[in-house]
Amino acid sequence: MPKAELQGALELLVLKSLRRGPNHGFAIASYIQQASDDVLRVEAGSLYPALHRMTEAGLISAGWQMTDAGRRARVYAITAKGRRKLDADGKRWQAVATAVARILRAT
Amino acid sequence: MGVWSRLVRTFRVGHYDADIEEELQFHLDMDVAGGHHPREARLRLGSMTRIHEETREAGIIEWLDSAFRDVRLGWRQLRRTPGLSLAVVLSLTIGIGANAAMFSLVDAAILRPLPVSDPDSLRLVAWTNVGFPPGADNINGEFRRTEGGKTQSAAIPASVYRRLAREQTAFRALMGFGAETDAIAIATGGSPAEQVRVQYVSGNFFQGLGVEPVRGRPFNEGEDRVGAEPVVIVSHRYWRNHMGGLPDALDRIVRINAIPAHVVGIAPPGFFGVRAGEWPDVFAPLAMKVAFQPGASADGPRGEDDRNWWVRQMARLNPDVSEAAATAQVAGQFRAMAVPEGVQVEPGSIPDLFTLPGRHGLDGLNRADTEALWILMRLVGVVLLMVCVNVANLLLSRAVGRQRESAVRLALGAARARLLRQHLLEGAILALLGGIGGLAVGYVIAQSIHQLFQTGRDVGSAFDLHVDLRVVGYTAALSFLTALLFGLVPALRASRADLNDVLKAQSKTVRAGLPGLPRLLVSTQIALCLGALVAAGLLGRSLEKLKTTDIGFDRDNLAYASMSPSRAGYTEDRIRPYVERVAAELARLPGVLHVTPVQTRLLSGGGNHASLNIPGRPYQQGVGAHMNRVGEDYFQTLGIPLVSGRTVRADDIRPDSEGVVVDELFVKQFFPDGSPLGRRFGIGPKENSGFVIVGVVGNSRYNSLRNEPVPNFYQPYRPGGTVHFAIRTAMDASGLAESIRRVIASVDPAVPLTEFHTQAGLIDRNLRTERLLSFVSAAFGLVALTLAAVGLAGLLAYLVARRTNEIGVRMALGAASGDVIRMVLHDSMSIVVTGILLGLPCAYAVGRSLRASLFRLEPLDPPTAGLSLAGLILVAVVAAWIPARRAATINPIAALRQE
Repeated sequence: MPKAELQGALELLVLKSLRRGPNHGFAIASYIQQASDDVLRVEAGSLYPALHRMTEAGLISAGWQMTDAGRRARVYAITAKGRRKLDADGKRWQAVATAVARILRAT
Repeated sequence: MGVWSRLVRTFRVGHYDADIEEELQFHLDMDVAGGHHPREARLRLGSMTRIHEETREAGIIEWLDSAFRDVRLGWRQLRRTPGLSLAVVLSLTIGIGANAAMFSLVDAAILRPLPVSDPDSLRLVAWTNVGFPPGADNINGEFRRTEGGKTQSAAIPASVYRRLAREQTAFRALMGFGAETDAIAIATGGSPAEQVRVQYVSGNFFQGLGVEPVRGRPFNEGEDRVGAEPVVIVSHRYWRNHMGGLPDALDRIVRINAIPAHVVGIAPPGFFGVRAGEWPDVFAPLAMKVAFQPGASADGPRGEDDRNWWVRQMARLNPDVSEAAATAQVAGQFRAMAVPEGVQVEPGSIPDLFTLPGRHGLDGLNRADTEALWILMRLVGVVLLMVCVNVANLLLSRAVGRQRESAVRLALGAARARLLRQHLLEGAILALLGGIGGLAVGYVIAQSIHQLFQTGRDVGSAFDLHVDLRVVGYTAALSFLTALLFGLVPALRASRADLNDVLKAQSKTVRAGLPGLPRLLVSTQIALCLGALVAAGLLGRSLEKLKTTDIGFDRDNLAYASMSPSRAGYTEDRIRPYVERVAAELARLPGVLHVTPVQTRLLSGGGNHASLNIPGRPYQQGVGAHMNRVGEDYFQTLGIPLVSGRTVRADDIRPDSEGVVVDELFVKQFFPDGSPLGRRFGIGPKENSGFVIVGVVGNSRYNSLRNEPVPNFYQPYRPGGTVHFAIRTAMDASGLAESIRRVIASVDPAVPLTEFHTQAGLIDRNLRTERLLSFVSAAFGLVALTLAAVGLAGLLAYLVARRTNEIGVRMALGAASGDVIRMVLHDSMSIVVTGILLGLPCAYAVGRSLRASLFRLEPLDPPTAGLSLAGLILVAVVAAWIPARRAATINPIAALRQE
């Protein structure tokens, strides 16, 4: 799959995880790993550039917050634009995934 | 942790980086807190710096940051060759500085609009008429003939202007002002009186232009009334220099021509009035002219004289009325008022008003000065081109030196575009430095040229010269244009480098051919230099010819002293004895040989011309002679020989005297047959012959060295408002200035010496534009010559350096040092000859474009062309000699060992 597609998938996963509420990068990575039953491991090397790219694009917003442990953490939240993108691209991704799965089964 | 922190520090660019770092650190810590070993967590995170880099790339910060790093790299590259970089920046500083200077002058004198609000909606009002309007005795300001035999002028009587301004409704405002400024004496407090210029203006002048006094208030309509209490507004510079810049200046009384006046306002700093290049220090209502400058004669009209047309008009367009409709309305109203009752008017001879663009106000410069500025502008353009060529060549030689570096970088995968960008960026850095230097140098050059321009003119002639956004913008644009011009060629060449070619060439074998482009560039430079030298030479020779023109009298040891008794309240009957006393006192001074009063100082630029009415010849307007009024000793004082008859005698000096003296040219032109003595003639269109010729003297130049000689005739002296004395001295006249000042103050302390000039000084002043042109073009010619020499020497030095091996081999094989010198010189001469061949047509074009400014010189003046060529070749040989010498001292052993 082309790199852009993979990036799109990562963005989708990030948006999905933020749908549940604002969170910091480590928590986003952990969520994706857990929710996929350890199938998908997001590397920091992909995650942080993606987060910054998405912030620039206005899909998510970023800000500094104090964690319960009293540390400063950079916390991301989904924006209205991000929500719209999640809805639209989510459906399309599902359609593609179903179609691909169907073909694979047919063989 | 050592490597870690060093890495972090390396990439610490700013706050943004610190944020990313903190975020990644947080990620790491969370992982460790989750039970992973720190070492494993670090491995899992991957390369910190790579993530860092990629994260950063997401933002615009990255773009700026990479540009910043390129600039730093460029700066380091330039620092690696400091001598070359300095040479480039200095050349650019000279080239850009000269251009910035000329631009700021041209801008101030010609291009910049008036310093008023919305100058685009301003219109100057002028008129045309068939012949001289009936009703007018005197018309101030511009006056010229148009095609079709009409007269074009602009001034109208003050009272007519006021009625017109009051009654018209088509323009938003109709402002009036004196068509010319006048000289007055102003004194504040106890200080002695000073000569300044006054601009008379209408009551609505400041409001109409939208100029707000920085202190005080503008005039109002009620103040422009004959008999009103005198009020003035002073210029900002007068307030600052003579009133201490104090706020209480507003309550002060100044004395103008001994009349007390209230200061009601101070004009804004840059406001010079309506004519760039003329900067009056006092503004006063139109009606104050009667109070400040009453006529010299006691029995003259007491109020304003409607036969004196001296007020010009400026209109502010009304957005709701078209310009044509507004002009038509005002022209109609003017026709109705123009001609006083009782004056018979022929149809078609009532002035017809029309409008002209008013954005720039009145023309700041006369034709010769404007032409001079454009000539200098072109000349500095040539200098800049030469600078560009020089810089391009320097960078080119450096780019060739860096070809190996470029080729290696390309081979290692650097993008060509990136290399090109790097080179252009280096050019931009150089241009920026040159531009900054140029702005500073330009300011100094502009101030000096302005000073040169002002020498011999009074304080009222000044331009508003300052570094503003326009000048900075022009300089910046120029700098980047030059950067592109000189940077592109070397940049392209460097980025085109092919690894194979370059690495092969690095074996430093003998190269038969020399690079063609740099040679051609230097030839171009020599061609441009020849053009600049020919321009400077022609202008210099022109000035020399003007200076040595036969003027018909002895210019050395001759001076003029001037004073204005009328400004101290003298009436005509008191001026006459005053003049006699001063003449007698001056004659008693040791060193003074002759003294005579005279109406017009020769070659001072002013004077009177009269159309002659000679019995038996058809009268023709404009065909006549210059007229002067002279005292009894005039011809002896000036050294003009008497040819026949007699000169002016003491008993001629009375109002009803008929006898006049004429010069030989006058006789030749108007009385070619028989003896002129006793013949009669008159002046003006009406049949008359009030003058009788009593003597003939030698020819002399009256007010122009440049034009063809014009006949002169001399009437006996009659004093006017300003009195001039011509003084013949036994030694250099300038040494007598102080004693003459004392003598005049001793006759009446209220009448100071207002002007003192030597005849040589007046001639210099007459030739000020030519002197300015010749001086500045000579300076730029020298700059051009230096640039050409540096360009040639630089190129040859570079070529010699590249051919070190070859020369070493030649010498090892038995070539003498003389042969090597000859070889280099021969090489340089081919460059110079190509340059000269290119330059000859260029020089001819330069000469032709200067034709209007030349005096009795052909564009291809052989001595000028010859001298320019000789100078150029001499300098080229000297410039080539240095690298040639160096080539001859190459040690063959060392040169070969470099292999």
